[in-house]
Amino acid sequence: MELRAYIVRRLLLIIPVLFGVTLLIFGLLQLFSPVERAALYVTDPKQFANIAEVIEKYGLDQPVWVQYGHWITEIFQGNLGWSKVVSQPVTSAMLNFLPATLELAIFATPLIIFGGIFLGSKAAAHKDKAIDHATRLGAIVGWSLPTFWLGLMLLMVFYGLFSGLFPPERLSTEMNIVVHSEAFTQYTKLHIIDAILNGNGRVLLDSLRHLVLPVITLTVVNLAFIMRLMRSSMLEALGKGYILTARAKGLDENTVVSKHARRNALIPVLTVSGYIFAGLVNGVVITETIFNYKGLGWWAWQSAVNLDISGVLGFALFNGVLFVFTNLVVDLLYARIDPRVRLGGKVT
Amino acid sequence: MNELLIIRNLTVKFYTYDGVVQALDNLDLDIKQEETFGLVGETGCGKTLTALSILRLISPPGRIESGSICFNIDDGDEPIDLLAIGEEEIRAIRGSKISMIFQEPSSALNPVYTIGDQVSEVILLHRRQELVNKAIETITALLAGRNSLVNILANPMRLAERSLYQKIAQNPHSLWPRIVGRIPIMRRLLQRLKDEAKKMAISMLKEVEIPDSERVAQQYPHQLSGGMEQRAVIAMALACSPSFLIADEPTTSLDVTIQDQILELLRRLKSERESSVLYITHDLGVAAQICDRIGVMYAGSLCEIARVDDLYANPLHPYTKALLAAVPKPGEEPHAIGGTVPDPLNLPSGCRFHPRCSRAIGMCREHVPPMHELASGHFIACHNYQGETGGSSC
Repeated sequence: MELRAYIVRRLLLIIPVLFGVTLLIFGLLQLFSPVERAALYVTDPKQFANIAEVIEKYGLDQPVWVQYGHWITEIFQGNLGWSKVVSQPVTSAMLNFLPATLELAIFATPLIIFGGIFLGSKAAAHKDKAIDHATRLGAIVGWSLPTFWLGLMLLMVFYGLFSGLFPPERLSTEMNIVVHSEAFTQYTKLHIIDAILNGNGRVLLDSLRHLVLPVITLTVVNLAFIMRLMRSSMLEALGKGYILTARAKGLDENTVVSKHARRNALIPVLTVSGYIFAGLVNGVVITETIFNYKGLGWWAWQSAVNLDISGVLGFALFNGVLFVFTNLVVDLLYARIDPRVRLGGKVT
Repeated sequence: MNELLIIRNLTVKFYTYDGVVQALDNLDLDIKQEETFGLVGETGCGKTLTALSILRLISPPGRIESGSICFNIDDGDEPIDLLAIGEEEIRAIRGSKISMIFQEPSSALNPVYTIGDQVSEVILLHRRQELVNKAIETITALLAGRNSLVNILANPMRLAERSLYQKIAQNPHSLWPRIVGRIPIMRRLLQRLKDEAKKMAISMLKEVEIPDSERVAQQYPHQLSGGMEQRAVIAMALACSPSFLIADEPTTSLDVTIQDQILELLRRLKSERESSVLYITHDLGVAAQICDRIGVMYAGSLCEIARVDDLYANPLHPYTKALLAAVPKPGEEPHAIGGTVPDPLNLPSGCRFHPRCSRAIGMCREHVPPMHELASGHFIACHNYQGETGGSSC
């Protein structure tokens, strides 16, 4: 079966790509002095006292390939070094910050992707009608709004004017204490899921309130992008011969658009959706900083401004791996939507 | 023979940014029952537009300005004006009474659905009643089966299915199928309709001489050759036995041997189904092979209509003559038509052809020549023949 061959081929391709990613990141590392690089191998602040020992142990003054060998072995053991900005190992920092970012992505991604696809196809189906003009205007405005400005304005209105309706940060101080108390089990560190599992409605409500503004900020900008893409891709699909055939069959306009045009129009949108999802999961620096929402983006920004090399490189590695796997999922979805990918053949 | 389709004063305009393009100009055309009418002319003269107007498929910025297209829907009934009926009524005619085959089979088929799905879609749409009856028959046969354990377990479900189908059969516009189709688990109850449609689609694919049609029904368009794709398109167009088939250059993108097979197939299907065909082509050789009568089009209007043997033996209009002379023949230099196709935004006054015509006279520049019958069945719109026989316009 061709589909299985496609999946196997696609999975095998991951290996060289990941190797390339590690090479690139390791290459970046070579720009630093051995002393700075040593931070990557430190797992405990006490080790900073005898850094010379670390340099010798991991051969940081040895040739590059020896160093790469040591480095990759450490990575496979889950040791990505010490992140000084948060005073914990990089791996545990990632595990601590990822749930916050995931929570944002879980809400923003469906809104962006499904909302964008829906509005984009509506606009294309009613080209040059009122709904098209309205959504296009909305898209241009949304796309042109700088994230930092939109975020600050939202904060000003919903936090300032409505006296704390939708506050920044992840949880209120009070709920933060509840979450970290003995009675509250943190199963996933995603507050919403944990709150449901613990049956704690107040934590659920509180974390939802904190999510509203950052999710809106992310959605407005990215939705505009998906919508514009979907509109143009849908317009292209609607101009194809098979649409005329579908109309000549006597199908109503709704079926023509939603059955015949949309599936073909989704193909380019899928690619971008993958990147948007990956972009959201690996942290949205500006949004997280404005709302003081401590996620991956916030941590990456802190690492970057404080020259926390192991933090930045750990983030870069996570980023690279995430993109590789998102691409894999996108490619598999392609095969699901488009039989020409699944079965091999011309793609026009 | 009665007329199946009567087009009168059909005018189509395109409202572009550069100005208004008069794409069809007061076109008159009759198509008789069971005839194959060929429409020939250069690219851009409005052949396809005429076809699309019949199905009301012209999309903006194009618009049908005026005219009437009377279609004799069922023998003897009052003909209906396709341009005057509502959107729902024209949809009921598209694909069932009048259907169309397009030039590029590879773009006319949706790349993401199987051939079987695409053919059965049109059957599901227009032959629902038939499918429902068939489904009821199948269920009744299953219910009458032996009292095995499987049957005893499945029968309550089948009874429910049958009552649903009977409801649909009594009232084709009932809301039941729509409601059931919305509920994910219930949707399976309608599966039998899809299965019956798939069976009919496969037999239709057999009829257009697709070998191994069960397998082809499972395949996607890109897995088929151009000839096979065009057969699938023909199967789709003829699935509901239309009385009028429009074929828009169906063989242009195919190579010559396949072209002959497709023409032969069309000829056979047309005579079996007693339908009329409007065959659009720019290839005069193909037109001679398949058509009974031919209309020659130039810049949005017809300039000559004649029976096929008459037209080739005795072309009258200077444009027809030039067109025939331009067909390459072995051992002869083809005579290209002098001048260029007029700019549609800026059509010449009077006879559209006069700037390129070797026989243009003074009045050609000022007056549009009316169509008149020169000899029996031979119509022409040219001032050179005006008054030779006082026929009225058709």
